[in-house]
Amino acid sequence: MTIHIDVTVNGTRHSVAADPRKTLADFLRDDLGLTGTHLGCEHGVCGACTVLLDGGSARSCLTLIGQANGSEVMTIEGLSNGEALHPLQEAMRDSHGFQCGFCTPGFMMTAVELLRSNPKPTEAEVREAISGNICRCTGYQSIIEGILLAAERG
Amino acid sequence: MKPPAFQYVAPSTLDEALAIRAEHGFDSALLAGGQSLIPLLNLRIAFPAVVIDLGRVKELTGIHSADGGLAIGAMTRQCEAERSDLVRERAPLVVQALHHIGHGAIRNRGTIGGSLAHADPAAELPAVALALAAELVVRSTRGERTIPADDFFRSYLTTALEPDELLVEVRLPAVNGGSSFQEVARRHGDFALVGAAAVVALDGRAIRDVRLVLMGVGPKPVRAAGAEAMLRNVQPSEAAFAEAAQAAVAGLEPTSDIHATADYRRRVAGVLARRALVEAAS
Amino acid sequence: MTIPATRYIGQSVLRIEDMRVLTGRGRYIDDLRLPGMLHAVFVRSPMAHARIVSINVERARQMPGVVDVITDQELVAGTAPMLVHTEMPNYRSPVFRPLASDKVRHVGDPVALVVAESRHLGEDARDAVDVEYEPLDAIVTAKEAQDPSKPLVFDDMETNISFGDSQTYGDPDAAFAEADRVVRLTLRTPRAMHVPLDTRGGLADYDPGTGELIYHATSQAPHMVRLGLAEILRHPADRLHVVAPDMGGAFGQKGFMAREDVCVCFAATRLGRAVKWVEDRVENLTSATHGRGEEIDIGAAVRSDGTILGLEAKLIIDQGSYPLPLPSALFGAIVRTVLPGPYRIDNLRWEEVDVVTTKTSFGPYRGPWAVETLAREVLIDRIAVELGLDPVDVRRKNMVGLDEQPRKMATGATLDGAASMDSLERAVDLIGYTSFRGEQKTAHEQGRLLGIGFATYIEGAPGPPDMSAAMGFPPLPERAVAQLEPDGHLTVFTAQSPHGQGHETTLAQIAASELGVPIENVRVVHGDTRTAPFSPIGTGGSRAATMASGAALLATRSVKTKVLSFAGGMMEISPEDLDIVDGLVVPRDAPSRGMPLGQIAAATYFASPAGEQPGLRSEALFTEAARGGWSGGTHVATVEVDPETGTVAIQRYVVAEDCGKMINPAIVEGQIRGGVAQGIGIALLEDAHYDESGNFLASTFMDYLLPGSMEVPRIEIRHLESDLYEVDYRGVGEGGTIAAPPAVVNAVADALGGVAVTQLPLTPARVLELLDSRQRG
Repeated sequence: MTIHIDVTVNGTRHSVAADPRKTLADFLRDDLGLTGTHLGCEHGVCGACTVLLDGGSARSCLTLIGQANGSEVMTIEGLSNGEALHPLQEAMRDSHGFQCGFCTPGFMMTAVELLRSNPKPTEAEVREAISGNICRCTGYQSIIEGILLAAERG
Repeated sequence: MKPPAFQYVAPSTLDEALAIRAEHGFDSALLAGGQSLIPLLNLRIAFPAVVIDLGRVKELTGIHSADGGLAIGAMTRQCEAERSDLVRERAPLVVQALHHIGHGAIRNRGTIGGSLAHADPAAELPAVALALAAELVVRSTRGERTIPADDFFRSYLTTALEPDELLVEVRLPAVNGGSSFQEVARRHGDFALVGAAAVVALDGRAIRDVRLVLMGVGPKPVRAAGAEAMLRNVQPSEAAFAEAAQAAVAGLEPTSDIHATADYRRRVAGVLARRALVEAAS
Repeated sequence: MTIPATRYIGQSVLRIEDMRVLTGRGRYIDDLRLPGMLHAVFVRSPMAHARIVSINVERARQMPGVVDVITDQELVAGTAPMLVHTEMPNYRSPVFRPLASDKVRHVGDPVALVVAESRHLGEDARDAVDVEYEPLDAIVTAKEAQDPSKPLVFDDMETNISFGDSQTYGDPDAAFAEADRVVRLTLRTPRAMHVPLDTRGGLADYDPGTGELIYHATSQAPHMVRLGLAEILRHPADRLHVVAPDMGGAFGQKGFMAREDVCVCFAATRLGRAVKWVEDRVENLTSATHGRGEEIDIGAAVRSDGTILGLEAKLIIDQGSYPLPLPSALFGAIVRTVLPGPYRIDNLRWEEVDVVTTKTSFGPYRGPWAVETLAREVLIDRIAVELGLDPVDVRRKNMVGLDEQPRKMATGATLDGAASMDSLERAVDLIGYTSFRGEQKTAHEQGRLLGIGFATYIEGAPGPPDMSAAMGFPPLPERAVAQLEPDGHLTVFTAQSPHGQGHETTLAQIAASELGVPIENVRVVHGDTRTAPFSPIGTGGSRAATMASGAALLATRSVKTKVLSFAGGMMEISPEDLDIVDGLVVPRDAPSRGMPLGQIAAATYFASPAGEQPGLRSEALFTEAARGGWSGGTHVATVEVDPETGTVAIQRYVVAEDCGKMINPAIVEGQIRGGVAQGIGIALLEDAHYDESGNFLASTFMDYLLPGSMEVPRIEIRHLESDLYEVDYRGVGEGGTIAAPPAVVNAVADALGGVAVTQLPLTPARVLELLDSRQRG
């Protein structure tokens, strides 16, 4: 059984049939080939699958594709403009913000939401904002520094 | 971990939703924010024949003022309640509790009604509903009824909802007095190991009214009625609150698991109850 | 040995790996797709120990999208038996199969493999496979494993003890007789899990036309997977290649061939199609591998002034059920060798028992020998408490200073270049020790509990030349190949298989500096057995900084010599008078007369080959450094404990560390902080727990708790950067995970007034129990 989905992803509108038991994460990865959004747990704890859904951060593994019908989604692939990096991506690179990179897309989308609502966060505010994203490699400090650097650069 | 197969329906009106629910009852799952349901699907713990997505039912959203208190539509996102001036003003305990729920991304999608209907005994909102003497408005094709919070939470993941009923609204009466929410969790944003919510209304120098609720101490949030009775018309003091807190936890039989022992939960519930009473009265 | 150029050394060069990761274009295992690819889903045992009575796959076979269901019945004809070959004498290995055949031996033991058009359909069919089990008693504790009346986990082993060892160094009897006091400690560490965010998986690409099997596998050691598959599948090695894609972490969990790898490759060859398996998180937590899970009884013979005269230790390692190619006994040997640490402990009585239980396999997890530092550093604080001494003073009294080194440890490895005392003093200074003690006293008067804990460790990264002999197994050289391309760019083929450590960058820094070309012109290639030099270990054991860098350096140096030799002929200048600067071959005394390296290289390609190894390609072998090889440092943590709820907050965390000269400081610091975060998890949060019936209780992230940004504090780091000789890079990958648990445990114990901690993690409930015991006692 399939359902009809209209969803805009990174500015591109898709009007397709989808398996309703697919999560938004699996739809992005399998149906649209956007594999930048990663699956780390599939039960909503690690945050690796975080995307922006109608402007707010959301765990795409905890969203059924039907729930995204009519919505706008932004993923990590939508952050850069061709080869030009988004300032947050540049700041993350300059701060050595990640190691294996698997959690990185999730952190970036969480940070985009943070900086939109709070362009000059304190370190404590950054720490709290990313507390729902797990990183096993970095101990978080370099990620926090990357986000603060992006905020500083405006 | 992929969900099992189910039929997916996305009604656009409440009547439509009620009709589908009446047809399938507990063989269907109501999808609100999905933050509790979808993990169960992914883990193949739940096998509903039908998933009813309430996301398009506009009648279930919205925060309104009602009789000096609040009416919150069941599908109101937790983040919306957190940011609402009305909620902050009239039911600050809700906002205090929401800060402890998961993380931003969870609150962006999770709903007020979804959390209440899910009835996890370690969840924050059921305890808050009990502490605020909330009334849960439920509907079915047979009509509407209002269930006081005291009667709504029955047991572990079990409420008073009949198989064909939907929670449509939470009504919070005007809160007179101060409130406090306390919880201990293993990590920031985790489910509480144990928690307490208190509302204390002072009348001059005595306690006019008090409600004290404990969470994570049994299969459902517990109203410490005995402790409340001890405190009515009494002058607030650290000693009175400490004594009431001890009474609140006597006889409780929490569970032991890898996160905490029963003894721990009982003991720390007492500590948090005392802290909640003290802060609510200040 | 001339000093290499250092243009990129010591620079926090931006990582080459970063672009693809930042833009979501990394290619991790689950991102790989092949035409006609099928998905594999394992059916796993829900029981800890049971006889398999029957497996019924008929219903599953009929389900939509199912192509095949494979059990041991299908595998047995096409695969060789599995067992562990090891250098450790007296290690007993059972013979076993890739899928459970007669019995299941842990919750999660794979019993069958469903191959289907999608993961969704595969899971539907998995749920339809009917397995009938006849339960057997689970073997969960070390006591049960050592009880001869209990059932055997592996019938052919005739025992549930896989290894036993005892060693005596010096004269421990005399030490204990002479002691003023014996201070004892028993410590139980829970099993801990690696939890790379990217789980294990493999995509087996089989071409029935050529018989070629390419296995894309999340592997730290692709060559070992290749050899293992060739052996077990009886597949010709010349037609079997393993390629590691981008990997999202491993921490030791991906260092060897897994039973699942055999099954997936078998399925591909049987079906003639590509088959992909990616484990989900529940599988990863339940069935991949577990680390730690040790029990250690340790005692120190001491004088009243705090001098440690000797140690005796008994270690029990729980290896779980199926042994891995790197068996537990290997790590026990490292524990034994490093247990004295940087201290003057010359008498040691050692006993070890490795037990077989009905649990998931024990495997190496970042710093797999860490229990030696945990036990020793916690014991030192116990010594201080029982003797009424300051824990820093006890360390000072017993620690071996640099001026006393080289000094042979009791266990046979030479302590050389270990700046432990310097790191201790630096940590004491940075944390403000004296003023902290004042603060602690004041806070205590107000009913607040503050505590401070130190831990000093040394790590063989790669360790001194006599370390292998001390441990009891042979040294492992490291290979690298450097190849100068016709355009003057350099390709370095490393045996490393990185998964976050930045080797593509650090090795490029080394090679670019050595050759004299811009770093953008160097490419580091890894992970493909067709091009990667052979290594039995790949990435692990903190080998990269010394061994892999050393090999890359030597290979690059050899290529440089070759090209300069040819350039000398072309430019009619003696090669000794030539150098390469920024990609130009220049005479030292006339730098403006340079020729582009690419021009020389191209000419070399077309010239007639001459010499022993003609051409611009060199392979180098790095065995070991002449001396030293110890990394280490001192970690110190301060905590506040809430006396009513038992919650622990880490206030400050300071690291004074020494890994010699740093190739890329930002990468070094990232490794330290990541390790410390994992160590904090071990101390306070993580427990891969089995109940008394062998049921696994930590199969989701609701129960296995990883430290998040609110649980890991800011980590302050100071680098000592000592060096024994000119080029002294040492590994740093594992120190954080080794030193953080004892630092935090000691801090909490100190906050509670000097209690004896016996069990981790220090959950709030355990903290309150300890506090109660202190108040009672």
